[in-house]
Amino acid sequence: MTVDPAQIAALIPLLVIAGVGCLALLLDTFNKGRAPALWLAQLGCLAALAAVANQWMGATSSQPIWAGMWVVDRMALFLDAVLIATALLTLLVAAPFMREHDFEHGEHHALVLFATAGMMTVVHATHLLSLLIGIETMSLAAYLLVASWRRQPAGAEGALKYLLLGAFAAGFLVYGTALIYGTTGGEMSYAGIAARAGRAAGNPLFIVGVYFLLTGMLFKIAAVPFHMWVPDAYEGAPTPVTGFMAAGIKVAAVGGLVRLLGAVFANPGLALGHAGWVRLLGGVAFVTMTWGNLAALRQENVKRMLAYSSIAHAGYLMIGLVALGQKVDGAQPALLVYLAAYAFTTLGVFAVVAWVGRRDDERVRVREWAGLARSRPAVALAMTVLLLSLAGVPPTGGFFGKFYVFRAAMQSPDLAWLVVAAVLNSLVSVYYYLRIVVAMYFSDPVRPWQPFPSVGIAVVLVVTVVVVLALGLVPRPVVELAAGGLITRW
Amino acid sequence: MPTYAYILVSLALFFVGAAGVLLRRNVLIVLMSVELQLAAGTLALLSFSRALGDQKGHVFAFFVMALAAAEAAVGLAIVVSVFRTRRTASLDEVNGLKG
Repeated sequence: MTVDPAQIAALIPLLVIAGVGCLALLLDTFNKGRAPALWLAQLGCLAALAAVANQWMGATSSQPIWAGMWVVDRMALFLDAVLIATALLTLLVAAPFMREHDFEHGEHHALVLFATAGMMTVVHATHLLSLLIGIETMSLAAYLLVASWRRQPAGAEGALKYLLLGAFAAGFLVYGTALIYGTTGGEMSYAGIAARAGRAAGNPLFIVGVYFLLTGMLFKIAAVPFHMWVPDAYEGAPTPVTGFMAAGIKVAAVGGLVRLLGAVFANPGLALGHAGWVRLLGGVAFVTMTWGNLAALRQENVKRMLAYSSIAHAGYLMIGLVALGQKVDGAQPALLVYLAAYAFTTLGVFAVVAWVGRRDDERVRVREWAGLARSRPAVALAMTVLLLSLAGVPPTGGFFGKFYVFRAAMQSPDLAWLVVAAVLNSLVSVYYYLRIVVAMYFSDPVRPWQPFPSVGIAVVLVVTVVVVLALGLVPRPVVELAAGGLITRW
Repeated sequence: MPTYAYILVSLALFFVGAAGVLLRRNVLIVLMSVELQLAAGTLALLSFSRALGDQKGHVFAFFVMALAAAEAAVGLAIVVSVFRTRRTASLDEVNGLKG
């Protein structure tokens, strides 16, 4: 078998990320000075971003390559860029955070890159095998990252719960794949399954396989009732890792679901009707956003509150997925805009949470945030902008993300109730986001504020706030980029 | 034996594994139950692969084996790290995080 060089060229961003991850690991083994591994990892992210931009400029094709395993289309490249930027910003926050809390490991940077390689595989996958490899590469690295803060007992506990439920989900993914493989007559590529889905839809084992696969994916995007691991893993993880998981894993899993649902399971026999996944996911979307928001209302711990908020965001994202199942035209670019806005907002928010704590004083209670505005007005302002974006208040990127997703969903009359429920949910969510703002601006500090000085975190805050405001004030360029990603028919 | 017999066995294995994850409280037993689920998937893949005369299922099974090994390695490392701080491997006693 000969390999076309173009096929190898198509993998360059992934190879750069994974290769630099291995190099960073080696470098850390021989040189415990840590900084070189970090610089190498950051340079690798920049190089991979450049490679993605280069592929974007070149001709992209929606034809799968590597025997139907992999596709390089605009949607995948758009999400690649978001994921690599997520990794880069995470590394910028993680380095000072780890120094402050005294658990510097070079492996951390390598694991972030390995997880990113897994995430990129998920959004490029057009075959159940590449999907499984991507999901598991991402998850295994994430379990270890959550557990990496070894002096914090909550870290190991959160990682344990995440691992057990994640492995449970992997069981569903594998078994679902087996059933689909058997009932479609030996198909594993998305195109092959889509071609045979109509005939296989009458087979109950095929339907079971479809729902097993969906269950495995819903664990990863943290939809209710598969969300139990989220609050514990988010609270126990080192804060930069929490931000990385909240942004990266959500982007990758939703990207993977867009491909799976948009292409493979879009068959009307599977999507609609009484047992169709559109109806089912609609219900799950409603429960997810409502449960997430109601549970967030009574949280005192900022990281836990943001964990429930990320569950609520999974609910909003699922409205876009349901619209995709209803064949609404703008649903896919709307989801991409939402994901981009959500990723940058979340990273910024967790960067602030990482920055306010000192060694042995993590400062994660809402009331401990009192008086931040008087001591550090710029940071309080940045946090306010980012929280407003999470709540979906204009003029922020979060507003336009929600606006486009809800507008797409409104085109289908069946989904009007979901949009109404989502808008009401957004109103509820304003309450708990504003609790942090009120604490920052209108109370006296419980303890003096002495956040650690860090250039990296300042850079991340500036970048995320600028991106979030730019998305809110001039959304057009990003919307056009996302719409360029619409070429995913194969 | 006909293919459906193998599939029935694999379904039974899968649900035994799933029940083990949901009902047992010892972390090691839960990890073993997850392995059972993955083994059920492997068995189903292999029997479909034989029945269809297609190699993809075999290849997938190899990846699942590698995945199961990686998961066990990471899982046991995390269990050891929990055991160091709490001196227990029971999920009922690992409950510092709530809300």
